[in-house]
Amino acid sequence: MTNRSSQGQSATVRVQRFNPDVDTKPYFDEFTIPLEPGTTILDALREIKSNQDGSLTYRRSCRHAICGSCAMNINGKNMLACNQPLKDHLDRKGRITIRPLPYQPIIKDLVVDRSAFWEQYQRIKPWLIPPEDIPEKEFRMSPEEVEALKNAEKCIMCGACYASCQVIGLNRRYIGPHALLKAFQKILDPRDSIPGERLAEVAGDDGVFRCHTIFNCIDACPKELNPTQAIETLRKLAQKRQAFEAMRRERQKSLIVSTPRISEPMGD
Amino acid sequence: MRIFIIQRISAIALVVFLSLHMIVVHYPPGHLDFSRVLERLDDPLWKAIDIAFLVAVLSHALAGTYAVLTDIERVTPMKRILAGVLVVLGIIGLAYGTYTIISFQPPASLLAAH
Amino acid sequence: MYKSTGFISFFLRRFTGLVLVLYLSVHMWVIGAATQGAEVFNARLEVFESPVLKILEILLLAAVLYHGFDGIRLIIVHYFDVTDYRKSLFYAAFATSALLTIVGGIPLLLYALGMWS
Repeated sequence: MTNRSSQGQSATVRVQRFNPDVDTKPYFDEFTIPLEPGTTILDALREIKSNQDGSLTYRRSCRHAICGSCAMNINGKNMLACNQPLKDHLDRKGRITIRPLPYQPIIKDLVVDRSAFWEQYQRIKPWLIPPEDIPEKEFRMSPEEVEALKNAEKCIMCGACYASCQVIGLNRRYIGPHALLKAFQKILDPRDSIPGERLAEVAGDDGVFRCHTIFNCIDACPKELNPTQAIETLRKLAQKRQAFEAMRRERQKSLIVSTPRISEPMGD
Repeated sequence: MRIFIIQRISAIALVVFLSLHMIVVHYPPGHLDFSRVLERLDDPLWKAIDIAFLVAVLSHALAGTYAVLTDIERVTPMKRILAGVLVVLGIIGLAYGTYTIISFQPPASLLAAH
Repeated sequence: MYKSTGFISFFLRRFTGLVLVLYLSVHMWVIGAATQGAEVFNARLEVFESPVLKILEILLLAAVLYHGFDGIRLIIVHYFDVTDYRKSLFYAAFATSALLTIVGGIPLLLYALGMWS
């Protein structure tokens, strides 16, 4: 190890540490690690954990930017640690600062308590509620309808947007950009039968009208999604809820009628 | 949602009213006194415009205050009391402002001279 | 606090908003003197003719203009799909209000210094 680092470049990694059993306040630790081509921020943390300080705690799983475990605050911006080259985030002195996601209680080091995040997600009923008379065949959506949901369905629930939102910092009751983006996906889905109920929930006190268009969620999203646009769309739909509901009922009727039945339902 | 709609509508109204107010009353800068204001406000149309301006500015200010305060988590449970206080303040403001605008009348001596 | 351009605009919008609410109440109190007749009104208005308060009015103008253009920016974002241009829109609102503050502030400054005829 020493051999390798003396040959190549090195990077200084400042990591915010906090152990609730011992510490009263978070503090920073500095580690020097070898900088090799292709080293990601997550690799840097792994290097520290395996070779320098085994007590360093962080979440990670897939290393392919799809599990959403390793979102953290790098130099003041939220991002995934696994898909970011370490080199791109070093300052002139070759340093990088890693903090846990803001606005959430720290469990240990870079691990935060994300229960509020998931509770808000539960609140918008993140599942599809189909109409009662389900057709025998598949629900067929038009290409345009699928396209409209593209913004939301790539979300990996990493929490980078939630932890970048200043409204969350002010008010933990706010549903949050992640859940509102998912609500947008369910509301615009032609197969869902309760868009009115969903719109009433997101138009309530803790919903879309609490957003102050700060745009941090767009900047933080590692999947380049756009929660702000979803929120603006929901704001417009919430103002014509009844009409939207009626439109959905019409759409589902046509969906059910136009689906050809291959076989007759079985008699009793 | 109601607050949001009030803010949008009053905001658009204010862009118009406030531009008008600045151009007519405050630009170019000059010495303002009762008679100078009265020159404009003697016209009932200007009185009506100023009362509409007052309504827009009060609703925007109070809805804005409500939005700023209810954003804070600790204030949210008290939002009904807050809304009540702000509505009362709005009514007082509207009454006082309207009374002020109507008070711009030519002095009685001048009226007699007419 | 998570620092970003959006946060600056959010903070300034709220801050100028609250300042303007406070100013509105003072403004209404001053003009409210009209209910007690022309003499009281003129006397109360005279206080605001002092050069220091005239110069503070330039700051007030800046607050009104920034709050206004930031609001117009938000209305544009609400009605049009322009989130990709969020940074440019912010700078545009900031630059427009700064420019108009200078344009509108110069006459006020000259007037405060007694150089406006």
